Amino acid sequence: MKGSSKKRTATRRRAVRRTAVHCAEKTRSPLVSILFAFALVASAAFSGCPSDNRVAPLVATVNENASLSPAAVSALPANPLKWRVITSSIDPQSSTMSTLYGNDTAVRYARSNAKHDYPPGSQIALVTWTRRDDPRYFGAKVPDHLKSIEFVSVTELPGETNITYQKFEGSPLAQTRSDESPNPSPPALALLQLRAAVLP
Amino acid sequence: MLRFLLRTIGTLFILFLLLQFVRLPLPNPPVTADLQAPAEVKQILKKSCYGCHSNETKLVWFDYPVPAYWIVRDHVLEARQHINFSEIGKLPAAQQKAALYEGLFQISRGTMPIPAYVAFHPDARISEQDVTVLRNYLLSISPAHPAATDDAGAAQYEKWIVNGNATSSPTPAPNGIRFPSDYKNWRPISSTERFDNNSIRQILGNDIAIKAIAENQIDPWPDGATFAKIAWFEQTGADGIIRPGEFFQVEFMIRDKNKYANTLGWGWARWRGAELKPYGKDANFVDECVGCHRPLEDTNYVFTEPIRGQQ
Repeated sequence: MKGSSKKRTATRRRAVRRTAVHCAEKTRSPLVSILFAFALVASAAFSGCPSDNRVAPLVATVNENASLSPAAVSALPANPLKWRVITSSIDPQSSTMSTLYGNDTAVRYARSNAKHDYPPGSQIALVTWTRRDDPRYFGAKVPDHLKSIEFVSVTELPGETNITYQKFEGSPLAQTRSDESPNPSPPALALLQLRAAVLP
Repeated sequence: MLRFLLRTIGTLFILFLLLQFVRLPLPNPPVTADLQAPAEVKQILKKSCYGCHSNETKLVWFDYPVPAYWIVRDHVLEARQHINFSEIGKLPAAQQKAALYEGLFQISRGTMPIPAYVAFHPDARISEQDVTVLRNYLLSISPAHPAATDDAGAAQYEKWIVNGNATSSPTPAPNGIRFPSDYKNWRPISSTERFDNNSIRQILGNDIAIKAIAENQIDPWPDGATFAKIAWFEQTGADGIIRPGEFFQVEFMIRDKNKYANTLGWGWARWRGAELKPYGKDANFVDECVGCHRPLEDTNYVFTEPIRGQQ
């Protein structure tokens, strides 16, 4: 759109110039040609033509590195990006940023219970990205490459609940850790105990 | 023909002379709270910004004839209203820093100093070297993660967790936009760590936005696409991890290229604090939104580079 309007302006300017030359020839009056020359210079000055704007253009793209492809999802127990946000975090030490997602059961629970006893059917997932400077704003950092996804699922067994922890890492994402027990393992507990971010 | 032309030129010339007397004053009020910054930073701002954004405006000869004078006066008054380095010391420190970050953003996108101004005042041009000096200065006044206690955040959480799922219906924004109370069920499309103001943010998109991302129809975004950007103050845990503390604000961009044609094709609104107080004293608050998003014409005025995979 920007390009075409520039093109239009250029075409218009060329047309003005042609008209100017044409009229000057027709009337053969030096005064008229001086006037037209003045008008041309003035219009050039006011349109700011000596533009040496060296700002690099931005491109409206998707953050591909941080995205989750259908192929990657097929290797996971679920697609956490379909879920809703519970909270997020930044680890300055490892220079990563994470978002904790939850399925409907988990989100409903986390947003209305100060305890951390997720009911059966709850699934939460911590998606972690490396981070980089925001190319669109100096003052921000944004997700870069997808680094890992950790899942915690709460399921009901006859007489007890079962908590599964699974970690997927690398590119392509592959399972690097998995445990299952009635009591959450330390990494599972770490995620289950996170406080939901306030969303009024 | 020639006589007609001469008469016209004569009339215009007289009109031009008469118009010279139509001029309102453009005084330089006293410098009351000048920006405190290192000399090398001040020197760049003085040469490139102070011409309009201060009480030290110095006009040059070609600024004086009308109509140039009218344009220059308008620009200076508007610029001072936006940010005035001669009075910036009166603002809270956080607001001063935000103004400097926005200034650097405008400079790096080439929207400031205004290109036409640079064309007439070549000395005001900002070099790459100048940008580096400004960046380094801003980094020096932006500690990565200052220790922040969670008292306010914890208190806010205790209140919220008991009635978290109650439907919120706060006062509409001053431009009439109603609070999209289902925003918290939209899906995340990115997150940001803002070291300029020590906040942590989530950006959510409604179904239309998510579909547009999946289909790569984001330039421009389709009508109806809506984003919510939620900001919390940072809170550093004992484990050194930074998490959302107190909820600060939620702001929205609602795409409708016709309805919001005057504001870059987007509707803007923001609510602050857990009580969701609408931002802005009147509908003109959108000037602030538009001013900061305008340099992003290339990306349909959107800061967020969305993450894909929600479908």
